[in-house]
Amino acid sequence: MTDQEQASKISEIIEAYPADQRFALAAMQDMQHAFNYIPEEGLSALAAYLGCAEAQLYSMATFYKALSLTPKGDHIVKICNGTACHLRGAMNLATELKRNLGIDPGETTEDGTFSVELVNCLGSCALAPVMLVDGTYHNKLRVEQIPGIIESYANGGEVSAHD
Amino acid sequence: MSEKLTIRIDGVECECEKGEYIYDVARRNNIPIPVLCRSDAFSDHRACCRICIVEVEERGKRKVVTSCVYPISQECDVYTKSEKILEERAVILSLLAHRAPDAQRIADMNKAWGREGFERLVTIDNEKCILCGLCVQACDSLGTGAISTVLRGTEKKVDTPFDKPSEFCVGCLSCANVCPTGAIEFSQDEKTRTIWNRTFDLLFCEQCGSLMGTPESARHAVGEGEVPTVCDACRKKKLADEMMQTYRYV
Repeated sequence: MTDQEQASKISEIIEAYPADQRFALAAMQDMQHAFNYIPEEGLSALAAYLGCAEAQLYSMATFYKALSLTPKGDHIVKICNGTACHLRGAMNLATELKRNLGIDPGETTEDGTFSVELVNCLGSCALAPVMLVDGTYHNKLRVEQIPGIIESYANGGEVSAHD
Repeated sequence: MSEKLTIRIDGVECECEKGEYIYDVARRNNIPIPVLCRSDAFSDHRACCRICIVEVEERGKRKVVTSCVYPISQECDVYTKSEKILEERAVILSLLAHRAPDAQRIADMNKAWGREGFERLVTIDNEKCILCGLCVQACDSLGTGAISTVLRGTEKKVDTPFDKPSEFCVGCLSCANVCPTGAIEFSQDEKTRTIWNRTFDLLFCEQCGSLMGTPESARHAVGEGEVPTVCDACRKKKLADEMMQTYRYV
């Protein structure tokens, strides 16, 4: 995406909302969705449009985990670390991912393919441990399955949740 | 005219208006209540440091409240030094002292009202900030909005967006002046001032040469108007001289 395309996309997202501060979060979520992160230009354009301080939006953007100010990977891997998943070895999954991708939770691979996040509870405790990749649940996961799953996403394909 | 009430603070009868905050009434009656995050510059207070807690007894029920934001609604008894308050304030001060060990004011308060027995707590190194947010409130109220609290939890801090010099900062030092613990760092030499990673020129009065702030802050203060070249004192003096001349022969 060129700078110009990005700028027009930003103004398209922003101008879909009335110029009122209460739409700040919604507009930022849309930007996060469109670019996989909130570009700096997006934040300042939104501040100018809503008539609020950029610092205020920056404060919100750094507060919410769902918003990111650095580009996220193409595939977002969420490891559930809720109580049930934690007890069933969620941290082992994180270690295995580190072995495969070389990144800790909260980081993105250098080629921008994967981001790994540790999340609190995905609400599927009966299926623990759970890992979510781009909205697909991988249930009752064993450490041995991880390399295969990562590989299938790296090759551009998707695997079914119950293979 | 709002309703008048009489309340007792530590047994002293105090006149007050309905809706006044306990802290304001206590101060007017020379009853000291320690505070950190309260500033006279604002009408809405942070109620963040929690040091100003007092016990209020209304209709026989006692409760602990933050005096800086507790409006008086009925006749009541206020206790600023009850055993419960001294105990709780000591805990709060100990926590703050571990949070901001470099803040002299907290250290002094902790010495006066703190208690021992909190050694197990981890002390944050080289920290003065208690994250009360007065600086952000000051910056916002001036309409500059250059700083805000960023991140969350243990990483939370006050900063400019992206940790870069802010184009909106005018170098007025309002944030540093309002800070109760002197946590906002800035440096100043004969010609420049540096704050929030940005360096400003200094503006001096054309007449007496006293410091007037930065050109940016002077411009921000007058908006569209003309930026003053002389300080307030010189301007008043000039005006007074002119008046004297005008009415000389009257």
